[in-house]
Amino acid sequence: LGDPQNLKCVTHNLHKMLCTWDISSRGGRGQTDFCYTTNDLTPQVCFKTKERRVEIPIPESSITVTIKSSGTAFATKFVIRQKDISFVPVTPHILSLTPDFPTSTLNLKWSDNGSVFPYGLDALWQIQILRKEAMEVVAQVTYNSKLTQEDVILSWNWTSDMPLECTSHYVKIRCYINATQFVGPKDWSDWSPVEVIPGKDTEPGGSGVFPLDPVVAVGSDLTFCCVHEEDQRIMNMTYGSKSYTMMQLSSRSHAIRVLNASVSNSSGTNVVCRLENELEGSVVFVGYAPDIPQNLSCETSNFLMIKCTWKPGRPSGLYGERRTKYRLFERTSGKNVSCEVNEVNKDHACGFPVLPDQKTYDFILGVSNPIGQAQSSLLVDITQRVRPKTPEKLTVTGNNSTSIQLRWFINGSFVEIRLLCQIEISSSHSERKLHNVSMPGRKSSTYTAQLNALHPDTKYQLRVRCSAADHFWRWSDWSRGVEQTTSEAP
Amino acid sequence: MAAADSPSAALRRDLCSRGIRLAGKMRADVVDLLDAYVEQQGLDASASVAAVEGVPLAAVERWDEQTGTQRLLENLAAYRAFRALLAQMLEEQREQLGEAEAGLGRALAALLLQVSAFAYHLEELLRLENRGIPGEEEEEEDGPPPPPRLSLFEQKLRGLGVLRELAQWAVRSVRDLRQLAKPSPATAAAPGLAESP
Repeated sequence: LGDPQNLKCVTHNLHKMLCTWDISSRGGRGQTDFCYTTNDLTPQVCFKTKERRVEIPIPESSITVTIKSSGTAFATKFVIRQKDISFVPVTPHILSLTPDFPTSTLNLKWSDNGSVFPYGLDALWQIQILRKEAMEVVAQVTYNSKLTQEDVILSWNWTSDMPLECTSHYVKIRCYINATQFVGPKDWSDWSPVEVIPGKDTEPGGSGVFPLDPVVAVGSDLTFCCVHEEDQRIMNMTYGSKSYTMMQLSSRSHAIRVLNASVSNSSGTNVVCRLENELEGSVVFVGYAPDIPQNLSCETSNFLMIKCTWKPGRPSGLYGERRTKYRLFERTSGKNVSCEVNEVNKDHACGFPVLPDQKTYDFILGVSNPIGQAQSSLLVDITQRVRPKTPEKLTVTGNNSTSIQLRWFINGSFVEIRLLCQIEISSSHSERKLHNVSMPGRKSSTYTAQLNALHPDTKYQLRVRCSAADHFWRWSDWSRGVEQTTSEAP
Repeated sequence: MAAADSPSAALRRDLCSRGIRLAGKMRADVVDLLDAYVEQQGLDASASVAAVEGVPLAAVERWDEQTGTQRLLENLAAYRAFRALLAQMLEEQREQLGEAEAGLGRALAALLLQVSAFAYHLEELLRLENRGIPGEEEEEEDGPPPPPRLSLFEQKLRGLGVLRELAQWAVRSVRDLRQLAKPSPATAAAPGLAESP
């Protein structure tokens, strides 16, 4: 056997180092005597090995190594200083690579192997995403973490700019540890083995256009792909009525890129892939996230039901099962009501039951559609938001030459408040007058009032409206009018 | 000398002529609806649609050799199928569009009524000829197997296929009913749906 040479030492964990060497001449693998000592005070440690690699502790400063191959007269001596030892972290391994197809997101999990290190360290992880049959790098990201002498499972998400179904996505990772106290050269670990999420273009019968029937925000940049059989020739791909230049992803997958998508019509925008003897397609719905509801206002007309109204803001452009949905949540009671809203007309309203023994309502109007959500809130004392229903059955119950008695009915329970009613009196030869009268509220009851100081033998037109007396909010609508002529003066 | 019309022959001719008018109106409405449907669904009017599962084909071989009963039975089976297909289209329309495009929904609903009326009309003709009406009860009990869940684009294409085929069927029905309305020699002797010439 020849003389040992090129002794190199590498550490993966800052505890131990792996030293390897060559033998100057070819020869079999004979026995080798390997001895080392870290300084003059400590005894030499020796052992025999047939390998040309040995794992020994990392020295504080330097280590003297002597190697004697069998069949040679003299041992060869090497002095290894810490600066000669290179630090290369262990190759990381991906624990899991999980696709979320609806969001085209990959979730990567791996262990940071922190337990192998003697103290906390800053680690850099480089993650590469590759695509297509040619495994082109489409993304390289650096992720920082702190090693804490425990094995921590790290997790990282990446959203692809194209559906994961379009073609296979590959991921690999490597690590660099910034061990500032370690003076030797430091380097990246090897790349981990590649993990793959196969695309539909690897599945038999996996053809179709992807993403399938997505809902996206106006202004999005979209990638659609057409997965087809190997022998199927693809003619073109259109988005709406426009044909787009295709990019080939693999022998079974082509894609188009649509920038700054505009709002689609109610039945969506068709993405059509014309193959030789077949049509494949998807329908994309491009709309807006809901606006924050404006002018949220709630009132009751009968102390049985609270009616909240609001202005929805910009239409979302989404209909049917993708329409914007509304929920009214009341914090105090925890009660939740789903609102039936017609997305076509402008007025939005929702009913919420008046709850026993509850005057103050802390409403949150939640709005959501597949693109986003928003909310508005309103704190209201419902007794201060009374707008009675239109007074009904206004009738004259009596009259003489200078006065008229009226009666009317209001549906609803107003026992908690006083009512203020306003009677409009007009006649041919006097100006329209308003006569206010207040009375205790009752439950679905009739109310009366008397008008005095009228002119004899005069025809009067009368109508009434009501509101809350103490905390005025809004008048009801006017009742239907009645006419009455006062009798002649006696 | 032309034999005096027997009451059932006269009734059959009347039912046939009313059926012809109904089929003609249905065809005109289907064609209008097709244009609106293509536009509203953003489809290419020239798109070729493969045969859609469950849609009865109007084209028939040796049409001339069909008996009157065969014509009626095939027509009835077809319009029952179209009734189910249109009802499904209407359901999908409401699901996908809600109150938007209410016009198209109304037109689809109106067409569904016409198809139902025409199916009933065909049953009347079969009753007139003392032919048993194929049991729809069995159909309703088991009901057609639920169609596979289609993607939205496939739903649009199927709708196109349904309306196109229905327009073809309306044409065929007019021809079938004209054929039935003709007095065949046999009917002079024994009214009933004799074998066609």
